Amino acid sequence: MIRTLSRRLLNAAGLLLAVLVFNFALIHMAPGDPVEVLAGEMGGATPELLAEIRAGYGLDRPFHVQLLTYLGRVAQGDLGHSFYYDQPVTGLILDRIGATLLLVCAALTLALLLGCFLGVVSAQNRNGWLSHLVTLLSLAGFSAPVFWVGILLILTFSVALPVLPISGMSSVDAGRMGPWGRAADVAAHMVLPVLTLASIYLAFYSRLARASMLDVLGSDYVRTARAKGLSRFLVVYKHALRNALLPVVTFAGLQFAQVVSGAVLVETVFAWPGLGTLAYESLLRRDSPTLLGILFFSALMVVAVNIAVDLLYRLIDPRIGAR
Amino acid sequence: MSMTPTPPLLSVRDLTVAFRVRGEDAPVVRDLSFDLHEGETLGIVGESGCGKSMTALALMGLVPNPPGRIASGSIRLGDEELVAAAEARLRRVRGARISMVFQEPMTSLNPVFTVGEQIAETARAHLGLSAREARDRAVEMLRLVGIPAPERRVGDYPHQLSGGMRQRVMIAIALVCEPQVLIADEPTTALDVTVQAQIFDLFRELQDRMNTAVILITHDIGVVAEMTDRVMVMYAGRKVEEGPAADFVAAPRHPYARGLVNCVPRLVADPPDVPEPLFEIPGLVPGAEALARPGCAFAPRCPRAMPVCGREFPPVTASPGGRSVACWLDAEGAR
Repeated sequence: MIRTLSRRLLNAAGLLLAVLVFNFALIHMAPGDPVEVLAGEMGGATPELLAEIRAGYGLDRPFHVQLLTYLGRVAQGDLGHSFYYDQPVTGLILDRIGATLLLVCAALTLALLLGCFLGVVSAQNRNGWLSHLVTLLSLAGFSAPVFWVGILLILTFSVALPVLPISGMSSVDAGRMGPWGRAADVAAHMVLPVLTLASIYLAFYSRLARASMLDVLGSDYVRTARAKGLSRFLVVYKHALRNALLPVVTFAGLQFAQVVSGAVLVETVFAWPGLGTLAYESLLRRDSPTLLGILFFSALMVVAVNIAVDLLYRLIDPRIGAR
Repeated sequence: MSMTPTPPLLSVRDLTVAFRVRGEDAPVVRDLSFDLHEGETLGIVGESGCGKSMTALALMGLVPNPPGRIASGSIRLGDEELVAAAEARLRRVRGARISMVFQEPMTSLNPVFTVGEQIAETARAHLGLSAREARDRAVEMLRLVGIPAPERRVGDYPHQLSGGMRQRVMIAIALVCEPQVLIADEPTTALDVTVQAQIFDLFRELQDRMNTAVILITHDIGVVAEMTDRVMVMYAGRKVEEGPAADFVAAPRHPYARGLVNCVPRLVADPPDVPEPLFEIPGLVPGAEALARPGCAFAPRCPRAMPVCGREFPPVTASPGGRSVACWLDAEGAR
């Protein structure tokens, strides 16, 4: 167990290093000069001033020197300094990551729980109306672009039926509310972005859970469970579901990266103050240290989640890691 | 044993199980009647697809539905009618009064629960035991089915056990509530020969101890001769012959049953230089659509078929000693 974990951590470190180098090179090659963007926002600058800014950020040095300097700093836990915000990138990210994690975790939990439930129910009566409804909804979920779903939800529930806030994470007067009031305020703001982000994954998980349950319900051990005279509830939710969960958990782990990138779109549509919005803004501003920092952080999260999923497997299926 | 006047423990009458195939009902078990007495072992013999496993599932109330269902007939256990009984009542019978051991020990146990839990949950479901008592009962059952160090094994997962051990666990699950009827559907087919012998020894020992009636489904005539009191031969969903096992193996009546018995290779003391070719029943097991045709389903493969065989299913001819056969060759008044 500990050996597997340390091997996984070592792999993860190698992977993260590769991500850093690759992203750094990619952003270096991308067109657009951060210094010119900065100068533009300052209202123009002389070539001497440009050169000075460039030297100040070390941007005049050769590529490999810049890369090694950056890697050295990251190794010490310093993700650099934002050109635009003029503050440490780590601080910027830590300020925003809570909002993103809240969004991603809520959406993923909703998608997983509801997806598994719908999958199980529709697997039990595979030709019933509910099964067809789930198939239809998941097809819609697959095909609809996330931002479009978001805009549609805003138009429906914030404009036509003004019951939920349009965007942001809290109301303007949130400062005057008590702690519960503020929590309720954030919750109300979460509804639409979480629904939007969850919609596509809900579709995935309900299809996957349905297929997996159908497979498991036909297995010999489910027949044994029925032959024991167990109740239908125990047969389905104890004997079948636990086995059917494995592919769903695998998929959820693999998809976490996609959920994080999906969050970028959703955050942009709903002006959710998370990492996604920050990434989008940094990209437009050529704020490469911030962008690199966010990419690194996302990679870190994805790797961590995958290790967690591996450990979760062992809890669900005793056959894994028994050797 | 069949002479005892006590009423049978299990009584099946005119049981028909049908599968809906492309909008039509295809019978896979037809007009099947038999009795099972306390402590008796009944063998059901036949080729794959003859309806023996479906008969077992029908007794358990587990015919896969859809597409299958019990179309007609009666199954009585004691004085309880099981056909058309409510699911809740069937659930109290399954695993408690009738239980079943399946063919595939490798896949019949749930891989994510300990074997102890899989035995204990049956005891909890039917005997109302507490978690603690059920676990103790599981250890006791593992000991009973001959698993060494049961206190330790109770926490093992199925993948940590060999095929033979897993089948012992399946037997422990089946017997934990001391059922009146145990159905064993080819319980040793997936196991190697030495383990096979051990499992059968175990069956005999436990049957003596608990006085359980056993239905043993097999296609192995050797097993029939060794293990069963009475035997029933099925072909294409129907019973074609029934009788005491010893008499049957010595002199099968129905041409199909003769074929089955002749299929068993014999050990001879002084073999000829050129061994006799192994007997084989010509032709194939008929498909579901052939079963709906009138007449004897075996007629197309039968070496002694007569014109009448293709027209009408033969009446059952009973003879002394508890034997019966459904064949025109035995039917009175047949030309």
